[in-house]
Amino acid sequence: MNHGFYLWMSYGATALALAIEIAMLVAKRAKSRRLIEEERDLEAQD
Amino acid sequence: MNWFYLSSPSTFYRFAGWLTPWFFALAALLTAAGLYYGFIVAPTDAQQGEVYRVIFIHVPAAWMSMFLYFVMAAYAAASLTFNTRLAAMMARAVAPTGALFTFVALWTGAFWGRPTWGTYWAWDARMTSELVLLFLYFGFIALANAFDDPRRGDRAAALLALIGLVNLPIIYFSVHWWNTLHQGSTVKLTGTSMHVAMLTAMLLMVFAFWMYAIGAALTRVRSIILERERRTRWVRAL
Repeated sequence: MNHGFYLWMSYGATALALAIEIAMLVAKRAKSRRLIEEERDLEAQD
Repeated sequence: MNWFYLSSPSTFYRFAGWLTPWFFALAALLTAAGLYYGFIVAPTDAQQGEVYRVIFIHVPAAWMSMFLYFVMAAYAAASLTFNTRLAAMMARAVAPTGALFTFVALWTGAFWGRPTWGTYWAWDARMTSELVLLFLYFGFIALANAFDDPRRGDRAAALLALIGLVNLPIIYFSVHWWNTLHQGSTVKLTGTSMHVAMLTAMLLMVFAFWMYAIGAALTRVRSIILERERRTRWVRAL
């Protein structure tokens, strides 16, 4: 019996899930940096 | 070492930043070693054939899903008991990674179950309680983000995390308490019947996932710290 499909679906989905989480971590990091910049801009306006 | 020194968000932010690349590097190395052992060294299983190699990610993911929930609940308890900001932030940081590993455990279990049991899914106690764990993670994340005041969100989510702890022994002992399709534990503290190469591959992947989870949680908590502390002088000075 060919089990390639089940192995690919398991390992592929795991790799994809980890890649998505890493991309979300990078996006969250960028968002927090942006919030700090906005805070600095507000402070500069004051 | 003075551990209370690290409970300050500003100190922990720098400490986590120093540690994070090491954890990710270790995770990459251990994953490479685990995949090498899992696909090259470990022999084909006499009964299941090649599909048994799914266990090299399924079992570590399932263990991490429960372990991370326990860690999240411990941080939640610390935040409720001592009212520490960092503990609440750590609980929030652990939750998405815990949910990810729970999803991976369920998904890979389905793709292992189809060729071996003949079905992707059965409403047996182990699988259903693991699905409940995924919903608990989702509930924690949703509740934590449901309030304008993040500290209120922290408290509400912490309570849910503590209530959900009851699900962990249910997951672990479900295969003993009920007659389940899911088999019992193969790896026990008293020993295992697994081939040494299979066990090595699985343990390497356990440590790889562990290192990854720490790296991901530390990366996430750094972003949470920046968002929460963005009005403080030390963040603006970064």
